[in-house]
Amino acid sequence: MDALRYIIKRLLLMFPILFGITVLTFFISNTIPGDPARLAAGPHADAKVIEELRETMGLNKPLYVQYGTYMNNLVHGDFGFSNFSHQPVIEDIKAYFPATLELTLFSMFITILIGIPFGVISANKKDKIADQFTRVMSLMGVAMPAFWLGILLLLFFYLQLGILPGSGRLDTGLSPPVTITGMYTLDALLSGNWTVFQSAIIHLILPAITQAAVTIGMITRMTRSSMLEVLKSDYVRTAYAKGGTDTRVLYGHALRNGMMPILTLLGMTFGHSLGGSVLVESVFSWPGLGKYAVNAITYLDFPAVMAVTMLIAILFITVNLIIDILYQVIDPRLNYD
Amino acid sequence: MLLQVKNVALSLKREGKYTKILDDVSFQVEKGETVGIVGESGCGKSLTALSIMRLLPEKAKLEGSILLDDENVTEFSKRRLEKVRGNQMSMIFQDPLTSLNPLHTVGRQIEEALILHTDSNKAERKRRVIQLLKEVGLPRAEDLVNEYPHQLSGGMRQRIMIAIAMACHPKLLICDEPTTALDVTVQAQILDLMNHLKQINDMGIIMITHDLGVVAEVCDKVIVMYAGKVVEQANVKELFLNPKHPYTKGLLESIPKLGKRKEKLGSISGMVPSPDQMPSGCRFYDRCSKKMDICKQEIPPVQEVGEDHITACWLFKKEVEEDDTSRSKGFETTLHH
Repeated sequence: MDALRYIIKRLLLMFPILFGITVLTFFISNTIPGDPARLAAGPHADAKVIEELRETMGLNKPLYVQYGTYMNNLVHGDFGFSNFSHQPVIEDIKAYFPATLELTLFSMFITILIGIPFGVISANKKDKIADQFTRVMSLMGVAMPAFWLGILLLLFFYLQLGILPGSGRLDTGLSPPVTITGMYTLDALLSGNWTVFQSAIIHLILPAITQAAVTIGMITRMTRSSMLEVLKSDYVRTAYAKGGTDTRVLYGHALRNGMMPILTLLGMTFGHSLGGSVLVESVFSWPGLGKYAVNAITYLDFPAVMAVTMLIAILFITVNLIIDILYQVIDPRLNYD
Repeated sequence: MLLQVKNVALSLKREGKYTKILDDVSFQVEKGETVGIVGESGCGKSLTALSIMRLLPEKAKLEGSILLDDENVTEFSKRRLEKVRGNQMSMIFQDPLTSLNPLHTVGRQIEEALILHTDSNKAERKRRVIQLLKEVGLPRAEDLVNEYPHQLSGGMRQRIMIAIAMACHPKLLICDEPTTALDVTVQAQILDLMNHLKQINDMGIIMITHDLGVVAEVCDKVIVMYAGKVVEQANVKELFLNPKHPYTKGLLESIPKLGKRKEKLGSISGMVPSPDQMPSGCRFYDRCSKKMDICKQEIPPVQEVGEDHITACWLFKKEVEEDDTSRSKGFETTLHH
């Protein structure tokens, strides 16, 4: 019951934060130089057309009135209309966001699967070859720019070896699975479409690895330093005194105690990746939120910019809440408060 | 003989070079016997215990032999050690709060020893855990199983540690300052419990403490250590009534006594020499009230000064010449290493 109350309280706190974000985004994006109507009408439109467009877009009204209208629509679930995709912004989001979510989930999966064990091993084998190896690997991952690594991977696996696809989410000629979640792998599985599933998975490999490279490096280093701290503690000695094996002590006792900073970092990177990684999405022509957001900003597509910002904010807050709940699942000494 | 510690020397790596922390430590523990190890902090008591458990830092160099039931622990493989620790010999540590894993329930921590060393199924283990909790005198054992260490008092936590240590009926129990972190009233209870358990299980106990009151209460035999060496060893009555080594005398004089009016409590002036600056002769030389010239130059030999009473001090030189064999024997073995 405590847990439920805590979650509700945290969700209610979301509203003032989101309100603040709408104010900031709205006024900043509307005061930067540039004329959305001019851009929407195209380079050859004459002044009259632009003026008409400005009128229909509501750009002639005072800013606070525009904001009021926007908020009124927002409260009624209307995120506005994009003048570039020529459809409601919410439809764009529905189309682009699942691609980003899918890519992020995959890269986080790889990150956790590799980063955490690497960190544990390098802490346990401090200053030995395994430690040096993971140190070099994680430094390389962190230091190499994502677009550069992406291009290298493309050159090698796509151009040279030709074993992995280089762009998009599916092989050409395949049609996307029935939309349930918008994530092709999951939808294909749910609808039992094996061919599409395989194609979706192999298309994910390179972008996911590229995206994960940096986070693996960070998670490895964080896990290592957190584990080094924990391995000094008395209960680790007790676990060994009981006759515990390395694996048991490291993963059964130490890792869980060292999980807090790792979780925090995982949450941050997860939230961050969900906002879309423009570079990775560009290199692999991945139709995700990052690319959509950059386009929206370039064309001063305010409703789209606002919607993306709101979405990212909501995602960040949600991920943070989940992480906070996980802390308390892990550590019984923390109380819902 | 349950445990025979023979000429054990321990060197730890500090700032790139090995320094000898323990030097020529020998003693024995019989079944059903409690052997106290006393001395100031830094004298090597705890490291002696950790050497027996082989819970030393990775870069430690351990010489000499430690025979547990005539098998040399110093030659055990990692796997063999995991089988012996917590099973044939267990250890209890000073601070029960930090020595228990804060994230696991009490029941799980006791059960772990059973998982590691017995073939019992879950139901059997649960029964045994509850039985153990009752044996160590904890009330409402059934509920306690699901509680976490932070929910218990210090005395209860130490009882949990004892339950963990006793789970697999060890032959040897090593207690490193088990009552130091506890309230005075609880100390006596814990000592009583340990005496009781010793009698039931017929095990040997090594009681490491700096509290001579604890020694008087529970020990059969006492080993006095100073700066990594055994300076005196006798049965408890003999040691209290007839201490030989000036260091032991100093220790005994520093205990406040009821009913005796004394201007000032006895104390030993000076400090324990640091391990990398050990004097070439007697290590107690600088602080000794009865120092002689020879003490500075030569290491005092171990010699018998009564029935089962040995000490390492030049004051008893005469007796050395009469009983030269034990001395030279001790020397030879150290020289070989």
